[in-house]
Amino acid sequence: MTAARRWALVGVGVLLLVSTPFLVRALPAHDDGSSAVVLLHRIQGSRDVAFSGYVESGGTVGLPVNDALSGLTKLVGDTNKVRVWWRDPSTWRVSTLRTTGETDLVHAGDRTLRWVYESKNVTLVPDVAVRLPTTADLLPNELARRALSGARPGELSRLPARRIAGRDALGLRLRPADPQASIGRVDVYADRATGLPVQVRMFGRGAATPSVTSRFLDLTVGKPSSAALSFSPPDDAHLRSDDVVDLADAANRFASRVPPRTLAGLPRRTAPVGQAPGAVGVYGRGPTVLLAVPLWHRSADRVREDLLKAPGTRELDAGVLVAAPPLRLLLGSPEPNESAWLLAGTVTRKALLAAAAELAAHRPGLSFR
Amino acid sequence: MIRVELVKMLRRPRTWITILMLNALPTLVAVLLAVTDIGPQPGEGPAFLSAVLTDGTLFPLAALAIVLPLFMPVAVAVVAGDAVAGEAAGGTLRYVLTRPVRRTTLLVAKLVSVLAFVLLAVVVVAAVGYVVGRLLLGGGDASGLVTGVSGSSLTSTQLVERTLMSVVYVSLSMLGVAAMALMLSTFTDSAIGAALGALAFLIASTLLLTLDAAAALQPYLPTRYWLSFVDLFRDPIHWRDLTRGVGLQGVYVLVFLGVAWANFTTKDITS
Repeated sequence: MTAARRWALVGVGVLLLVSTPFLVRALPAHDDGSSAVVLLHRIQGSRDVAFSGYVESGGTVGLPVNDALSGLTKLVGDTNKVRVWWRDPSTWRVSTLRTTGETDLVHAGDRTLRWVYESKNVTLVPDVAVRLPTTADLLPNELARRALSGARPGELSRLPARRIAGRDALGLRLRPADPQASIGRVDVYADRATGLPVQVRMFGRGAATPSVTSRFLDLTVGKPSSAALSFSPPDDAHLRSDDVVDLADAANRFASRVPPRTLAGLPRRTAPVGQAPGAVGVYGRGPTVLLAVPLWHRSADRVREDLLKAPGTRELDAGVLVAAPPLRLLLGSPEPNESAWLLAGTVTRKALLAAAAELAAHRPGLSFR
Repeated sequence: MIRVELVKMLRRPRTWITILMLNALPTLVAVLLAVTDIGPQPGEGPAFLSAVLTDGTLFPLAALAIVLPLFMPVAVAVVAGDAVAGEAAGGTLRYVLTRPVRRTTLLVAKLVSVLAFVLLAVVVVAAVGYVVGRLLLGGGDASGLVTGVSGSSLTSTQLVERTLMSVVYVSLSMLGVAAMALMLSTFTDSAIGAALGALAFLIASTLLLTLDAAAALQPYLPTRYWLSFVDLFRDPIHWRDLTRGVGLQGVYVLVFLGVAWANFTTKDITS
């Protein structure tokens, strides 16, 4: 064999090896021509689709590190690799994979079991009305459900179909009409066969790159095995049961405040079925969310201290402002009783300051629960 | 020819000194863990390091995770970079090829010798890790069960099986480095140059893995799936990255060895 032939053989081989994944990815996706509203209904009707798969989720939202917010900071600021087994909305398991171990959330009925490999901690927590987001909330199906809740036909448009996780996926774009919204658009892709959302990308206003992304890399539709959904704590595990889930849950249940019906022009969301409305106000629609959390002075002082250390924090008359677009936080100035409102959400700075001003002016009263 | 190269590799003091040095760091880590009893926080430090505090039988895996990012590839790059360039630098390549031996055969023999070194190094690190772990950190639960990453209990048999699979996977992960260094070894008479070239390639890969801007490239980077052997200890085993890791190393080996073969069988040997 001549030298030229040898090199040609190697060149062709390299070209074939390198181009194969790109050729596979370039396979055309098939659309079915359904309208945006029809696709929305199909997505909303896919809640009970059982599946298992592998999800990559995360974002570029740079929240400050704080004990109370650390989970949220990692959730929207890093890339999370997650395995999921989903039988229905009340029976599922998600495993956040790390090279050093993993954290599992196993949900059954009205409780979630949390397993952390490195510390061997097993914690049982109840379902609560208000809590900070977890890995499960960033799965494409859950993120899409929340983002599209309350969507109006005028806010929706279709996107060309794509192939995601090896399946045909139909595209739906939501442009929130609320002037308070800091999310400019949400692109949702749903499995053509089942309507199950397989990719969600959230863009801040005017942003060319997504702030939060969640997508399936592998997806198998069908009921996962019972073995995958079950968890028995190992003998060397440290078992714990937490009645209070996080800062938001504690405030919602134990703070004696009554949030107003509307805040910054956004209506308060109703409490989940069977749950009494608490002290935390959740406002807005779809991807536009504003939380008003009443904090005790100790918690407020700790959060304020951490926020002031974070780069990009601004001290205003209204309080301490952290902008990590499209997410913004404002810890209000201390009230006479030294407690303070923590406002957080996907709203504009103007809306956040308006909310702080309303709370300061009207001082929501004490509840007599 | 293969036997000659294997014997040559095993008889070289450098082979054993390299393997000895590979074992020094994991042993030091085991001593420190045994003395201080301080493990890393979740998400920090090498894999399995938090688990070995209560069960030394997992230390072979921790040892592999300790040497895998840097020490093991350096050792492999040095040995593979020397395979052909070392002969050329020593002026022996011409004499080797004057024997009735085809260049392709010599290249395959060099490759097998490098692969044998990789496997030997990984097996010794795991074996020393097991002995050191048991001696310094204890044997874990009396029941013989070991807690897997997903919280399920692994029997001794399952642990041995998965540890052996890890050894094989880590060895396969090093093939890309070996092939890269061997390829460069056919282009130069400098063994150090070939080893450094392979290491530069790996450092670039490691750096690109930390950049969000390089997300599109990351699935194709040689170091992307190195630590995926941890997935063997999840329940159920997470095969996705493991299969991709093996496939990716296969592609790198084919490409680099193809170029090495085309170059080595074509060039004028003057050294």
